[in-house]
Amino acid sequence: MQKLGDFRVPNFFNYPPYFTLQPIRETREKQVQLWKELILDYCRSQKVFIIGLEEEFPLFSNPAIQRSLSHESREVFLSALVSEGRAEWIDKNHRKCLVLWLRIQDWADHLINFVRENGLEDSVMTVEDIRSGIESRGTELAGIDRGVLIRALKLLEQKGKAAIFKGSSTDDEGVKFNV
Amino acid sequence: MRRRPGIAGLQTAAAARDQYRLVGENVAKIRTDLMKEQLATFKSQLEEFAQKHKNDIRKNPIFRSQFHEMCAKVGVDPLASKVGFWAELLGIGDFYYELGVQIVEICLASRSHNGGLINLQELCSLLSLRRKAVREAISEDDCLRAISKLKVLGSGFEVISIGKKKLVRSVPTELNRDHNEILELAQGQGYVTAEEVEKRLSWSSGRAMDALETLLKEGLAMIDDGHSDGKRRYWFPCVASVFVTAGVD
Repeated sequence: MQKLGDFRVPNFFNYPPYFTLQPIRETREKQVQLWKELILDYCRSQKVFIIGLEEEFPLFSNPAIQRSLSHESREVFLSALVSEGRAEWIDKNHRKCLVLWLRIQDWADHLINFVRENGLEDSVMTVEDIRSGIESRGTELAGIDRGVLIRALKLLEQKGKAAIFKGSSTDDEGVKFNV
Repeated sequence: MRRRPGIAGLQTAAAARDQYRLVGENVAKIRTDLMKEQLATFKSQLEEFAQKHKNDIRKNPIFRSQFHEMCAKVGVDPLASKVGFWAELLGIGDFYYELGVQIVEICLASRSHNGGLINLQELCSLLSLRRKAVREAISEDDCLRAISKLKVLGSGFEVISIGKKKLVRSVPTELNRDHNEILELAQGQGYVTAEEVEKRLSWSSGRAMDALETLLKEGLAMIDDGHSDGKRRYWFPCVASVFVTAGVD
């Protein structure tokens, strides 16, 4: 079984026609489905948040069978994720894509669990603490994309479960949880 | 017998006929009795045999297929009826019905990937994978038997031979000779190019394209434009063993 780092790739990754967009609808649907799952699984295991369509990305080519995805197929697969709310285009030209292997709502739930487990209710943390502090080490939150984290925090703020304080620089935005 | 004239002659003839008939009936009866007796002995022997080797029949696929062969030779079908003594004796009917159901499930689950045509070998290994918990080995012979039982449902399950391989078809697609020849050609590498088809089968390019397009439309083929020589390849998931379990879990 071929591996990308510590990620086990599924069988279809070694089957050349999956790298060409299929013209027949049913076959195409199956193909898109497999790729969507692969992209989400890979991004989750490798903590990848942003995929650049014009950059090297391990999933976009398989040297073992000498195949790589065309720009069009990259866009088709990611657009399929976007239409399901599992990804967002960052720019209008569809050059960069934010992959939400957890939806913002799921991230917010993760945050609440994290706060409860670490007894951080009613205490103040900086955004940077959440991303790279000792408490978050080994959890899904470690290394979370800053933009995604802020959006999850804002969602909590709307629900009255957190309050975000502006600091003097972007590094030290503070959060007070009120779970 | 010389025919004698008069009433006496007719009476003698009738009496003689009666005698013949009696003797004939007797012989037939003896024969039937003998036959019945033989059949009873045979049945009890077969039963005894089946009882004795019950475990072998259930556990050992090779033995099982030999047992089936033997039954077929003497004109007994252990699968013919579920309520026969075979079913009670061996539970063998249930075994194949169960296999049949699992085969249908696998065919359905993999249909979007292979267009409803699956390699018998692959089907068999998927079946074994699924039945890991039961710990009974499954042979291709078992698969074939179970599939033959599925025909009763009229759902179009069929085994077709292409070259050396057997494929199981679960969709009512009609494959003509041209399609079969392409599939056979693809068995070597898992794919063909239009050029190869034209050359190896000496077809016109129209004929080759036509057949390839049909196979593509039926979901039996996938195109691959990624090779560096720029020639489009047609892959056939049903013959390529590189690819086994996606979509079947």
